Amino acid sequence: MSEPAIIMLVDDEPQIARWLNPALRAAGYQVDHAETGTAALARLADSRCDLVLLDLGLPDMDGKDLIPRIREWSETPIIVISARDQEAEKVAALDLGADDFVNKPVGVDELLARIRAALRNRARRVAQQPAFRSADLEVNFAARRVSVEGVEIKLTPREYDLLRVLARQAGMVLTHAQIIGAVWGSDANVEAQHVRVLMAQLRNKLEADPSNPRLLLTETGVGYRLKSDDDA
Amino acid sequence: MRNLMRYVGALAIVAGASIIADVFSRMTGTSRLTSIFLSSVLLAAFYLGTGPGYLAAIGALLTHLYLVDPPYKFSLGSVDEMNALLLFLAASVLTNLLAGRVREERRQSRARAEMNAALLEAARELSATADEGFIRERLAERLERLAGGPAVVREAAATDAEIGEGWRFRALVAGGATFGVAGWRSPKGHALEREAQAALELLTDTGAAAIARARLDAAKAEAEARARTEDLRNALLSSVSHDLRTPLATILGSATTLKRFSDTFDAETRRDLATTIEEEASRLDAFVSNLLQMTRLQAGVSPLNRIAFGAPEAVRTTVERRTRGRPDSCQVRVEPGLPEAMGDPALFEQALGNVVDNALRYASCGGPVEVAVGRRGGRLVVAVNDRGPGVAEGDLERIFERFFRAAGSERMSGTGLGLAISRGLMEGMDGTVTARPRDGGGLSVELVLPAATA
Repeated sequence: MSEPAIIMLVDDEPQIARWLNPALRAAGYQVDHAETGTAALARLADSRCDLVLLDLGLPDMDGKDLIPRIREWSETPIIVISARDQEAEKVAALDLGADDFVNKPVGVDELLARIRAALRNRARRVAQQPAFRSADLEVNFAARRVSVEGVEIKLTPREYDLLRVLARQAGMVLTHAQIIGAVWGSDANVEAQHVRVLMAQLRNKLEADPSNPRLLLTETGVGYRLKSDDDA
Repeated sequence: MRNLMRYVGALAIVAGASIIADVFSRMTGTSRLTSIFLSSVLLAAFYLGTGPGYLAAIGALLTHLYLVDPPYKFSLGSVDEMNALLLFLAASVLTNLLAGRVREERRQSRARAEMNAALLEAARELSATADEGFIRERLAERLERLAGGPAVVREAAATDAEIGEGWRFRALVAGGATFGVAGWRSPKGHALEREAQAALELLTDTGAAAIARARLDAAKAEAEARARTEDLRNALLSSVSHDLRTPLATILGSATTLKRFSDTFDAETRRDLATTIEEEASRLDAFVSNLLQMTRLQAGVSPLNRIAFGAPEAVRTTVERRTRGRPDSCQVRVEPGLPEAMGDPALFEQALGNVVDNALRYASCGGPVEVAVGRRGGRLVVAVNDRGPGVAEGDLERIFERFFRAAGSERMSGTGLGLAISRGLMEGMDGTVTARPRDGGGLSVELVLPAATA
């Protein structure tokens, strides 16, 4: 990376910034700290920003309202920081266009892994990479070929679609609604239960131990995530 | 007894009429005295009833026969006299019947009015309360009064032993539910036997409706209480989760950052992170002890260790602890020559700490918080004064309620527990804590403790 990525931290708790600032800087990022949603919007409009780290509790607005405002004109990855027990909030934030979330409290290693995944994911999207590769799994988008540890796996079209959607945004969480929209189409009358069934089929084919998945991870109450090598 | 009196009265009326008639005939020499006797019969029938009326008629007839033509001798007299006599008889019988009916109707209508009034009053009384036990008790009493005999109100069906001769029972039914049974001894001989029966049944139904409403009210009150508890619990949960999570998130983040980058960081950054951990840990500690204290207060088991202690020292310790890292944010002024305070110093420090925390958190923008220790009468007063935004007049008491957050403080971290705990603690020590606007802007919160008697 020629110049350091700029991360905008949107959070009004000073004590959070007190450790995040040095941590992000030590990890090689430049940090721009906004304490309100309004300040964040203004700063985003007139300076470069590679990733937004957004706490949903802001003094001047609901952090969720900020996401569509940013998404109107920017594809900058957004990682939401939210409490562990607020699944509905997380799902809403993701459906509004956030890329990922981290639970509060979060350790620095997990947070940095998420940031790396989000940044790389954006690079991947921009470059239109023809394949996804991780230590165990390879998905060749051009040839629609999937292999685990070098062994090719036959998937049904639906299973492949599910895997492709997750692999396109490897390391990021996708909500049930996002998966349904991408696999079945947005007007399909499909429930989260169908996603679970399809996910079980896919795990049976890809996972060494389907009941203890290592590649296709569940984010309880939110959705699924394909493990990328960034994940700690 | 009353009946006897009525008959005696009838005879007295006739006797009076006879004297008048006798005097009248002597004075005028006339023997046409029928109208006087007829009047007496009418009078007796109207005021004393049918029976006395007939007695009066017989009495009047006999006296009449005795007095007229020839006087003072029983005789039927002339044909004219006979005619007058027949007319007299017919008229007295008719009068009697009419007067008796009027009287009876008047009696009935009075009884009916009384019954209606009793029903109305019962309905009013039974619907004025939501206490089911009271309703049952009053219903039984009212039934007894209306039936003029014993009455019962049972939650279950009546036992066979109770279903004796002349008892009538009616189920307490309202809105499809049964609340038991009411029973009374049939009001035999009552002026309005059938109507009384109907009234008793109506009263029973009114009672059943009142019981149904009382039960509904009780269920509603219970549901409301449950909802309030639920609200409280939710508020507690969300505030607890926020106030526990923020320091925890900071501690975890700082600790992992220190671990991960300790080689990269300079000494100052490392120290700053360690300080952050220390501060947040003590915040967490304060919060947890507040929670514990509140639980204790609620359970009523807060152990009070009341001793004489020096208020200024306690104030200084508290302020020092709460302003760690920002010594300029709070100033302490102490009046010289203060007596010792009476109370639990640890609890007092906690109560004061919450107040100081609040002042620092909400009002530090307006300049340093000033804590003044002084005396008023036999009491020690610790005033925490700030120049912050203050609190609306109507909210000055409410800030001591649990989970109350003053307007404008919604986005500030805080549970709305601190001041409520302060109040609980102070009151537990026979002290008080109150808030008022400070002269020149801001808020002044006063903690008052009794002074130790030297």
